[in-house]
Amino acid sequence: MKVRVISADHAVAYAAKIARTEVIPSFPITPQTLIVEQLAEFISNGELDADFIPADSEHSVMSIAIGASAGGVRVFTATSSQGLALMHEMLYCVPQNRLPIVMANVNRSLGAASGIWVEYNDSMAERDSGWLQLYVEDNQEALDATLMAFRLAEDRRVLLPVMICLDGFILSHTVEKVELPEQEEMDNFLPKYDPLNILDPADPKVINPIIPPEYAMEMRYQLDRAIEHSREVIVEVEKEFAKAFGRSYGGLIDTYRMEDAKFAMLTLGTATGLARRTVDEMRAEGKKAGLIKLRFMRPFPFKELCEATKDLKSLGVFDRSVSFNGGGPVHTEVAASLCNVPVTVTGHIAGIGGRDITPRHMRDMYDLVEKATKGEDVRKVTWHGLRGDME
Amino acid sequence: MFEVRFHGRGGQGAVMAAQTLAEAAVIEGRHAHAFPFFGAERRGAPVMAFARIDDEKISIKSQVYEPDLLVVLDESLIDIEPVARGLKKDGKAVVNTRKSPQEIDLGVEVECATVNANAIALEFLKAPIVNTAILGAVARITDLVSIGSMKQAIENRFGEKFGEAAARINIGAAEAAYEQASVGLCQGRRPLVIKREWLPDWRDIPIGNSLSAGIKDGVMVGPGGARQNLTGSWRMQTPHYDQEKCVRCLRCWFTCPEGCIKREDDDHVRWDLNYCKGCGICSQVCPVTAIDMIKGGSR
Repeated sequence: MKVRVISADHAVAYAAKIARTEVIPSFPITPQTLIVEQLAEFISNGELDADFIPADSEHSVMSIAIGASAGGVRVFTATSSQGLALMHEMLYCVPQNRLPIVMANVNRSLGAASGIWVEYNDSMAERDSGWLQLYVEDNQEALDATLMAFRLAEDRRVLLPVMICLDGFILSHTVEKVELPEQEEMDNFLPKYDPLNILDPADPKVINPIIPPEYAMEMRYQLDRAIEHSREVIVEVEKEFAKAFGRSYGGLIDTYRMEDAKFAMLTLGTATGLARRTVDEMRAEGKKAGLIKLRFMRPFPFKELCEATKDLKSLGVFDRSVSFNGGGPVHTEVAASLCNVPVTVTGHIAGIGGRDITPRHMRDMYDLVEKATKGEDVRKVTWHGLRGDME
Repeated sequence: MFEVRFHGRGGQGAVMAAQTLAEAAVIEGRHAHAFPFFGAERRGAPVMAFARIDDEKISIKSQVYEPDLLVVLDESLIDIEPVARGLKKDGKAVVNTRKSPQEIDLGVEVECATVNANAIALEFLKAPIVNTAILGAVARITDLVSIGSMKQAIENRFGEKFGEAAARINIGAAEAAYEQASVGLCQGRRPLVIKREWLPDWRDIPIGNSLSAGIKDGVMVGPGGARQNLTGSWRMQTPHYDQEKCVRCLRCWFTCPEGCIKREDDDHVRWDLNYCKGCGICSQVCPVTAIDMIKGGSR
């Protein structure tokens, strides 16, 4: 183990390296580019033996990834924003083909209102694609989540692609202390990839024929169940990871000071760190604040959330993207999963288009959530940091 | 409500037939709809089309499982699928065939009109598009719509799409079939079961949308399935090759959409009739008329 001060992009690239990734199709897009650049460097200086394939678009990147993965090798790639949107069509192929591709999506707002800064509207738009999707809080988690992603994806009980989502710039271009595992440690943690279906001229197969109505429904249900069954493997992989590397993240969700909490925020991504600080601040004031960190958006932690919120009076849900006229996507899903839990759920949208989320914003969210515990009227959805009164 | 199911092959016009029947009913002041169901296959593959006619607005959009009227545009389908499955005991049938109703075994003994719609279509349209001829027989065996409304519907739909002249010859085909159709009882001896069906439950679907070559419940799956599916059986005309005239330009070999023309070492050609669908493109592109299309398929 060595300690370095590196960006999350570098950390993710390092993870893909010690996972002994074999094929890396790539197309550059800010703020992801540092990942594929770093991987290209690892290959050129002989640290990684992989095929680096520069493609003509992200659509081609995912197509190459599918072909390579179906060919039986370990595949990693990374993208952002418009790049992920351009992959959209091919993304849907991967889960149904049960190909364990691992991809980092460095969250960046999807235009128009084009920008290069963080918003989750790129990855949230793909939450129905069948990819497992998780969000990380810091650079160490970006690295560790990527390491775990390979093991999770390739587990025979799972065989699904994993998308690791990390905040553009706030993580991708921020350097901080990261513990880097050694190659040998990773080799012990991640077995050699043993593919289920391989395209092999000696044993011809047909992949992705047109599927008539007699079969599609069963295939979709089979995929739905595979995602459901990935829950237990996520927990198992976490345990194995903790044993091997001494760090753990809680599985589908993590909680902070929830034991006797009366109100809490649910956050994902880097806003979680800010929320931890705010919880400490309010606890010091004698207020019973808590925090739920959403790690996996897919599979969605229905049961875990019901359990974590059963003694709460009020829960605020943070969203860094908008499902227009429907609040935030995390808010609507959390509200739906808690429909039988007597807790007031409110939505809190902030940080849109990379707008900085300040300690003041987070405190405002918590103050509103606390207000709701007293039976006071709180908006269903509040935009924090918006200029002008909300309608 | 009166429900109709059409069985045909891609290119025979089953869909237009269903639509035209629906339009004829609407002309008579009733409610009607028509819709197709076909796979991703090409000209010649089995297709279905459905029509419903009622005095009320029709709210159901499901397929037709228990038709009052069965229309079979291609006789060979009777041998490969249970076309009459669900046909009501007091239902009726129309079959495109040279045979008499008594010689046809649909699997349900019903009143049946047979008509040689192929011959009529080739006479009037110079092409094996049998939909309008079959509609003449439909008007003959049912009192669903009058032959007058049927002709009006043909004029509307075919006229709009292909022009007045096309409408006229299609009306001619319908009239001829109305006259020539013979009506009687067909046989009901054939068992109406689907011979080959692979319907695994979700746990048994192969993982990964991937299939190796093999047989599942009698169905060929995976690569190589075309070896069993001899699409040459769809053919209604067959190329006749005059090797003396052939200048070995290989245009036919190059343009055959099925790839069923084989090139010999000396650049003469031969046809794999297991897969030739009789489209006639080879005959069209031949610069020296060395390929004639002869009526009839051959197995």
